[in-house]
Amino acid sequence: MNSFSKEDRPQPNEVLSVMRVHEPYLTYARDLIAVICLALVSLAAGLVINRFRSLPLPIMYQSPEQRFDAELTTLIVSPPFKNAPAATVGLEQFRSALAGKSTLIFDARPSSFYEQGHVPGALNLARDNFAHDYRKLSSVLKDAQVEPIIVYCGGGDCHDSRLVANALVTLGYDDVSVFTGGWQEWSAGNLPVTTGSNP
Amino acid sequence: MTARRSSSSNYIVPAVSLGVAAVFFYASIDKLRDPLQFADSIAAFAILPARLISPLALGLPPFEVACGLLLLWPRSRRVGALAVALISVVFFTALASALLRGLTLDCGCFGAGAPSRTRMWQELGFDLLLFCGSLLILLRSRIPTR
Repeated sequence: MNSFSKEDRPQPNEVLSVMRVHEPYLTYARDLIAVICLALVSLAAGLVINRFRSLPLPIMYQSPEQRFDAELTTLIVSPPFKNAPAATVGLEQFRSALAGKSTLIFDARPSSFYEQGHVPGALNLARDNFAHDYRKLSSVLKDAQVEPIIVYCGGGDCHDSRLVANALVTLGYDDVSVFTGGWQEWSAGNLPVTTGSNP
Repeated sequence: MTARRSSSSNYIVPAVSLGVAAVFFYASIDKLRDPLQFADSIAAFAILPARLISPLALGLPPFEVACGLLLLWPRSRRVGALAVALISVVFFTALASALLRGLTLDCGCFGAGAPSRTRMWQELGFDLLLFCGSLLILLRSRIPTR
């Protein structure tokens, strides 16, 4: 039987001295385990707190661009988008409405086209940036719930003015029409034009 | 002389612990209040994948509070200091990497602010200070005896 001789057998004070040498490392290891546990408990606490927030943070992070896109969709989809044919006006009606100054005119084309030239007094409410422009124009639109609104876009086969007009009807504006001739007819008639980002 | 030195060093560890704990409590306030803003700050570093951003944004503020609490209690001070040292290294590495990549961002360390490289350098220095403070606590704190 293999056994330690009396001299080989580790003495109790030797065991203690080995433990004393390794004690700091053992303490650091214990502290490190405690920190890992702390991190896990903190994560659990964070998730629990998040559940009780009025606006919880989604577990799958969405970038500001993704959130804006989702918001835009919400703005147009809810309440249900009314894809009803809006009333239309011709060039003469459009001009008299413009001269009357009581009608709000919206240009539904992208801002780059608007800046190149638009009907004097028209505000840019671009179809491709609708939610952003809508919020920007909120103070003007707040007063326009009862005012007539005319929307135009490029003219011809352009659908932007119809989409914007329908979106405005969906959002609670009653008197919304579309100038079907649009920018094409206006510019062809050698009528006044304003350039830049201001109406 | 020796007695005076030992009595002054008796106060150093609690004082530094209190200071670091106060910084961590302060740092956690805005993160707890607006986790979305903090998540955006983390995302701006472009280091972590999207699926890890929200868990970090939610878990880090309670972790900071816990670090602060542990630093206040002598028996748990070592664990708190080790946690602060580790997290300071993480913050320092993230900020240094952003600075090296030429990014100008708001690190969200102490609430939201305007993105600024000057502020990033200041916060990098602050992380270094926190690391040194936590190291001091760690090395000067007595190992608890059972």
